[in-house]
Amino acid sequence: MKLKLHIWRQKNAATSGKMTSYEMDNVSPDMSFLEMLDVLNEKIIERGEEPVAFEHDCREGICGSCGMMINGMAHGPEKLTTTCQLHMRKFNDGDEITIEPWRAEAFPVIKDLVVDRSSFDRIIASGGYVNVNTGGVPDANAIPIGKKVADYAFNAAACIGCGACVAACPNASAMLFTSAKISHLGSLPQGQVERMDRVINMVSTMDNEGFGGCTNHLECEAACPKGISAEYIAQMNRDMMKATFTVR
Amino acid sequence: MASIRTYLQSTIMSKVIMALSGLAVIGFLLAHLAGNLLVFGGPEAINKYGQGLRDLGGLLWVLRGGIVVAFIAHIFTSIHLKQRNASARKVSYANTQPVNSTFASRTMLISGLSILIYLLFHLSHFTWGMVSTKSFNGSYILQDGRIVHDVYAMVVADFQNPIISIVYIVAVTLVMFHTTHAFSSAFQTLGINHPSYNGLIKKAGLGIAILFWIGYVSIPVAILGQFVK
Ligand code: HEM
Ligand code: FES
Repeated sequence: MKLKLHIWRQKNAATSGKMTSYEMDNVSPDMSFLEMLDVLNEKIIERGEEPVAFEHDCREGICGSCGMMINGMAHGPEKLTTTCQLHMRKFNDGDEITIEPWRAEAFPVIKDLVVDRSSFDRIIASGGYVNVNTGGVPDANAIPIGKKVADYAFNAAACIGCGACVAACPNASAMLFTSAKISHLGSLPQGQVERMDRVINMVSTMDNEGFGGCTNHLECEAACPKGISAEYIAQMNRDMMKATFTVR
Repeated sequence: MASIRTYLQSTIMSKVIMALSGLAVIGFLLAHLAGNLLVFGGPEAINKYGQGLRDLGGLLWVLRGGIVVAFIAHIFTSIHLKQRNASARKVSYANTQPVNSTFASRTMLISGLSILIYLLFHLSHFTWGMVSTKSFNGSYILQDGRIVHDVYAMVVADFQNPIISIVYIVAVTLVMFHTTHAFSSAFQTLGINHPSYNGLIKKAGLGIAILFWIGYVSIPVAILGQFVK
């Protein structure tokens, strides 16, 4: 396959960047998208230039670090897929592909396609945990939890924190992420103790980090590689309404 | 812990205020439509209804106050949130492909602000009588002998002007667009989301939006087409 890539190049956080075009020949349809970028980088390095910086770790769709905007879609055109699991067979010979970093004030660009997602870590630190007694590890089945509840919580827990929801949202809102974390813990018995404080604290951190609000376009749901539902946002809204009037 | 006031200013609670006030406006528009359609019942029906509203006295002012508060809350929260949302992404993408969002959902502020501009014209026209004083000041004698404001003659005379009618139809079309996204969106904002009734909410929103369009547009169309004179 022959491809024309338009990639955002930016030296560091302090400089402004621009789109740069690269031609690629002999791209195998069996390559993953990141492997295609690896090949591009080898060529760029041979030319003595700076390779395209992109983040990646597991390359098996579980760590959430490989986020990038591909042809205007978070993680590219394939549903329920991270960039590392996207394969070049999804594209056609002669295609032009634009590749951009996540765009959000709360996700500043560090270099090229790499953004700083530590705002997510700060949301988690403000309430995405449960307090437990120290001592021996409790038995896994010490607290019985119904299958439906366990599934509901697990589907929220599937969030890998990749930031695709923020990237795809026209308002750069982090509500799908934040709600998945809040609802995952808030649905389980262990999460009840801090439930009201958790929603207040995580929502205010989310707001203070500069993410936008939800206007229910549901672009997040379409972009989420783990298929997390906006139902969790509704649950977060319910908890927030309750907490607003009851928290002490 | 901060205060309730801080929480109410959060993105979520601001949106809750927007949803509640927006639903109040939808409720108002449904009632307003039911009243307006009495124009098809002739002068006696709608003029009697108009007088009936006036006879509510203090209650009418409570209802008016409520709807004004809802509008103001709705407009303030919409602008406050829009500013937040715009500043959450200052550098835009070279390429974006919408998947789930709709034309209506992406143009809510524009449709809303255009409705606001029309609303001010609408009030100065039919409520404050600043647009066509002649037809506004007519009076009508009800069958029970009471002399009341002639709403019927005013509406018929003014909608015979095609410009007034067309502007009205455009405004109603914007209300329809706004409502297609607004209704189901408000339920989601209020945390009312469940796979077993989401489809129903979506359909009801679409139904109400279409009802608004057919219902409100039927009046100027009937008058321009001389079915109501
Ligand atoms: C007066 C001018 C108006 C302005 C400036 C305005 C603005 C807006 C905006 C910006 C939104 C947010 C849309 C979003 O979340 O994507 C919205 C939502 C909404 N609007 Fe309006 N609007 C106006 C009038 C109306 C009218 C006439 C109705 C009744 C049909 C209405 C009902 C709603 C409802 C129910 C929502 C949903 C709230 C939610 O998403 O939770 N609005 N409006
Ligand atoms: S590299 Fe880990 S999810 Fe893609």
